[in-house]
Amino acid sequence: MSRSDVLVDADWVEAHGSDPGVVLVEVDEDTSAYDKGHIRNAVKIDWKADLQDPVRRDFVDKAGFEALLSERGISNDDTVILYGGNNNWFAAYAYWYFRLYGHDNVKLLDGGRKKWELESRELVTDVPQRAKTQYHAQEQDRAIRAFRDEVVAAIGRDNLVDVRSPDEFAGRLLAPAHLPQEQAQRGGHIPTAKNVPWSKAAEEDGTFKSDDALRALYGDEAGVDFDKETIAYCRIGERSAHTWFVLHELLGQPNVKNYDGSWTEYGSLVGVPIEVGDGK
Amino acid sequence: MSSEGCGAPAGGAPVTAAKDAGTQAVVQGHVTQNGSAVPVGYARLLNSGGEFVAEVPLGEDGGFRFFAAPGSWTLRVLAPGNVRAERVVSADVGKITELEVAV
Repeated sequence: MSRSDVLVDADWVEAHGSDPGVVLVEVDEDTSAYDKGHIRNAVKIDWKADLQDPVRRDFVDKAGFEALLSERGISNDDTVILYGGNNNWFAAYAYWYFRLYGHDNVKLLDGGRKKWELESRELVTDVPQRAKTQYHAQEQDRAIRAFRDEVVAAIGRDNLVDVRSPDEFAGRLLAPAHLPQEQAQRGGHIPTAKNVPWSKAAEEDGTFKSDDALRALYGDEAGVDFDKETIAYCRIGERSAHTWFVLHELLGQPNVKNYDGSWTEYGSLVGVPIEVGDGK
Repeated sequence: MSSEGCGAPAGGAPVTAAKDAGTQAVVQGHVTQNGSAVPVGYARLLNSGGEFVAEVPLGEDGGFRFFAAPGSWTLRVLAPGNVRAERVVSADVGKITELEVAV
């Protein structure tokens, strides 16, 4: 896996975004951003309304994902280019989610919406009309999704990478600082987890750092052992999808899972160990 | 907005989204250029060690809002045209710290 297999740049999107067989998809933290302006011919996926089960805390099931992509006019053969704000945070989550259901021909626009906006590239409000398709999803690929029992078993054995901010890791904040601090669960982190804030993988313009810089960040600086299996987590599994992308797709680590239950689940479990305080 | 969500509207979540705004350490304000709102751009919050903590797109009125912890923070603004600005700000629980940033 190389960068060109999983990333495209803005010039590529300007040249090929309207090609047959290419579908641009905006997935944004701010779900109203698309409506104010988006890249020409991009469709929208709402990370919450479209990708979460409305009742249980889980993803939409296979049939639900098939219905969503069919309705958006995405077919199994399409190259899906995902982009979004905040360093592609939610776009990377959607990338992981597409891979979870077996759509392998998916890439991220490096730098996402932020770099596009900061370069004053074109944004339009026209919503493209795409013909419906008959999308067929695969069963979830559990090799990239971790559940709580695996996480508890991984303590002290595998790499646990906590990708939240240092203040959340230490237990001083319970949510990212642009959200109200209203969570009721305990603060802290999973014992033996290394704290590598997800945003360290990105430059200020939202593009990913070089492979060498990323390898140094996780390996030499944080002490992640690349010979072991790795589970990444954050608060609800979206920032850690960004780190999953870095470790699995950019650095080619074979055994990396995203724990989407993350701190909102782990920090509410009865009887599991928790550490507080800053990283070592 | 659900407490489960990470989704923040442009300009930041409203203070009323908190169960009790009195327990929050809010840093908020607007970004202006020549007296007009800057509606396209980003506000980033860095902790006292210079580490990135959070980012929001500016609202149509140039607005931003963060729910921080007590202490000293740096606010960094990015806008098209390579516009950059930084302000150091102190946050306290139960207080809304207002910051007007002219770039």
